[in-house]
Amino acid sequence: MNDPVGTQLLTLIRTADDMKTLRGLRDQFHDQMGSLLSEQPVEQFYNHLNDVHDALIQRTIALSEMQMARLGNGSPPVPYAYILFGSGGRKEQTFSSDQDSGLIYRDPEDEFERDEVKRYFEQFAVTIVQSLQQLGYPPCEGNVISNNLDWNHSLTEWQHKLNGWFEDPNWERVRYLLIVADGRCVYGQEELLSALKRHFYSDMLKNPVIVNHMLSNTMRHKVLIGVFGQLLKEQYGEDAGSLDVKYGAYIPMVNSIRLLAIQAELHETSTLARIQELKARGRLTDEDAQAYTVAFKLFLRLRLMTTEREVDAMYGNNGKLASRRLTKELIDELKTALRVGKKLQRQVHRLMGGKM
Amino acid sequence: MVKKLLLSLGALSLLFPALSYADDPSAAQLNMGLNALWVMVAAILVLLMQGGFILLESGSTRMKNAGHVAGKTIFTLGLCSLIYWAVGYGFTFGADSSEALNKFIGTGSFFFDPSISAGEGDNYPSTIFFIFQLAFASISLSIAWGGFAERAKLSSYLIFTILFTAVIYPVVAHWIWGGGWLAQDGAQDYAGSTVVHLTGALAAFAATVLLKPRIGKFNKDGSANEILGHNQVFSALSVLLLWVGWFGFNAGSALSVGDGFFGYVAFNTQLGAAGGAVAALLISWLVAGKADITSMLNGALAGLVAITASCAFVAPWAAVVIGLVAGVLVFFSVKFFEKMKVDDPIYALSVHGAAGIWGTLANGIFATQELAEKVGVGQGGLIDTGSWHQLWVQFESVVVCGAYVLAASFLILGVMKLVMGFRVTEEQEIIGLDLSEHGTYGYPEQMKKAQQNL
Repeated sequence: MNDPVGTQLLTLIRTADDMKTLRGLRDQFHDQMGSLLSEQPVEQFYNHLNDVHDALIQRTIALSEMQMARLGNGSPPVPYAYILFGSGGRKEQTFSSDQDSGLIYRDPEDEFERDEVKRYFEQFAVTIVQSLQQLGYPPCEGNVISNNLDWNHSLTEWQHKLNGWFEDPNWERVRYLLIVADGRCVYGQEELLSALKRHFYSDMLKNPVIVNHMLSNTMRHKVLIGVFGQLLKEQYGEDAGSLDVKYGAYIPMVNSIRLLAIQAELHETSTLARIQELKARGRLTDEDAQAYTVAFKLFLRLRLMTTEREVDAMYGNNGKLASRRLTKELIDELKTALRVGKKLQRQVHRLMGGKM
Repeated sequence: MVKKLLLSLGALSLLFPALSYADDPSAAQLNMGLNALWVMVAAILVLLMQGGFILLESGSTRMKNAGHVAGKTIFTLGLCSLIYWAVGYGFTFGADSSEALNKFIGTGSFFFDPSISAGEGDNYPSTIFFIFQLAFASISLSIAWGGFAERAKLSSYLIFTILFTAVIYPVVAHWIWGGGWLAQDGAQDYAGSTVVHLTGALAAFAATVLLKPRIGKFNKDGSANEILGHNQVFSALSVLLLWVGWFGFNAGSALSVGDGFFGYVAFNTQLGAAGGAVAALLISWLVAGKADITSMLNGALAGLVAITASCAFVAPWAAVVIGLVAGVLVFFSVKFFEKMKVDDPIYALSVHGAAGIWGTLANGIFATQELAEKVGVGQGGLIDTGSWHQLWVQFESVVVCGAYVLAASFLILGVMKLVMGFRVTEEQEIIGLDLSEHGTYGYPEQMKKAQQNL
């Protein structure tokens, strides 16, 4: 971030002493950011926004460490990595993203310390999740979150867990694998996640069952454009007439590109970076990469325009674009982009050898 | 041995003299008997369609109203029968009117007292004809209930049954089937796309407009909510029951066995229904991105409603086209009424109204000269004869009958609304009509819990 206001904000976040101050900074920042969207290219805007989210989360974790010490739990007994999954992992958080997270810590050298270390990180994750809730980040609805013991392990445990998923892949476990692919270390020792990712990529894709599950998971959300080229909008309820941009445009593209990225064993997590890297490695033609980038940028922009809902002091969002925001030009642009999204889905399907 | 046989034969011939001496029945008698049998079977099939309406209406509405919705159909069927016997049949088919009056209404045969068997030269006994016609009137009435669903007072069902059966349905039926002025013009409506279905649908329309939408159907900003029915399996079964019953409805309208023409009518009926079901599922899939079961079920019924007028007048390919168009039409019609903020819980306006109009007009396009001559009503349509005449007659019959039913229904229901009140209170509607109108739930175990939460 190169503007002085932004730098100043990051400094304020990094030196904030308590959650209340952080929440105040987040609220203030949200108010300022609204006007910036029209002035910046969307990817720059997202970088900016996600830098701030990262800073807020990093500071929260640091403050949580201190709180742990204050409560007599001491400092972290071994190095750890706090992982963001989902949009946080992809650096695609909007103003209102929930907490998708996990925790990896190094195996203690002494066997006897294991339980104690485990207890520390359990307690630590609870503290972090609670603090982030105070900041207005709602917990993940699917319970992919660090205070859930399924997502909080030592590196060896994580590797065992992945092995279990590889050996007996059902639909649910493959979904977890896809979640791990988007993981990004936001705080702590990066190397722990890198080690896990190396393990992740060791011949997972040779198993046709995994590939098939990944493909069907990736294809599950349909691009919301009909055979007559019409937008498939919500028909009933409060959101009637709006378009589900999140699940009908953004997620299908994220999923498709992620699958290509996994196949190419990329370590990038952001969708735009993945597209660039796929192009660089010759897995996407220049034209396709260009078209996908343009379409995806539009979806990123529209995601910021979706209807916001504040529930219980949490920043929330229904992922849907209200019909009053769908202007004639926007609809045309959207249709073109959705057709590109559909084309991408078909391409991935073909590449992965799926039958339709 | 031989002695014993002769003895017992002799005893038998004493007991049953007809066995050895009766005349063979005449060909006319056999013919009458066969017709009577078929029309009676058809009448029973049409009566059984009420079972279809019970399942359709209750399946498409919520649990808290299920007992009321189902039970009131049986009650109104009973009341309708008495009224039809007293006056409805007479206004439709009574032969005592002067020629001028007969153009508009029949008189005579009130409190119908039929002869106990068919007279010389009759094609069937008048008793069976009465039952068949009564079954039609009750179907039209049950269609009208679609507009009442989930919010009308029970007393309004009572009053409207009387007035609908006495003065709304018989007038239209007389105009087209009872020798009235539209019949003289050659309006083709073989089994009642207009007489039965459009009439019922327009009464439903008047009711739903006067009642206003159900609580929670539309949001403040005008967007619609989907109030899902409580049992889609009921709805699907209802369509099958109606579909099978429709063979009585359409093929029974041949009123004879004769040369087997009723089989051709049944054949076209099947094609029309099939076209409707297939087209509706596909169009919902294409337009909304999801293959919608409710739309498909509506499509099958719309195909049936549309082919009802034309089943005896068109070639098989035209029956398929009529069904396909009906399936597409009903899908968009549902969307249209929703957009107009008309709450149509059972989709009666679209299934019976829009498809009824289409089916009636379709005669003017697809009827063939040959079949029109065979049935003896009107003439061939636009495609076969190149003449617009029949289409105009069909259009006229839809407009005139529609206008009459709409005016009469709005008048009757409007007065009812002023005098006695039409809709239950908000509290009653939320608790459900099972409890407010009858005191017990149709699903007591399931509703008990919901009640505690109120």
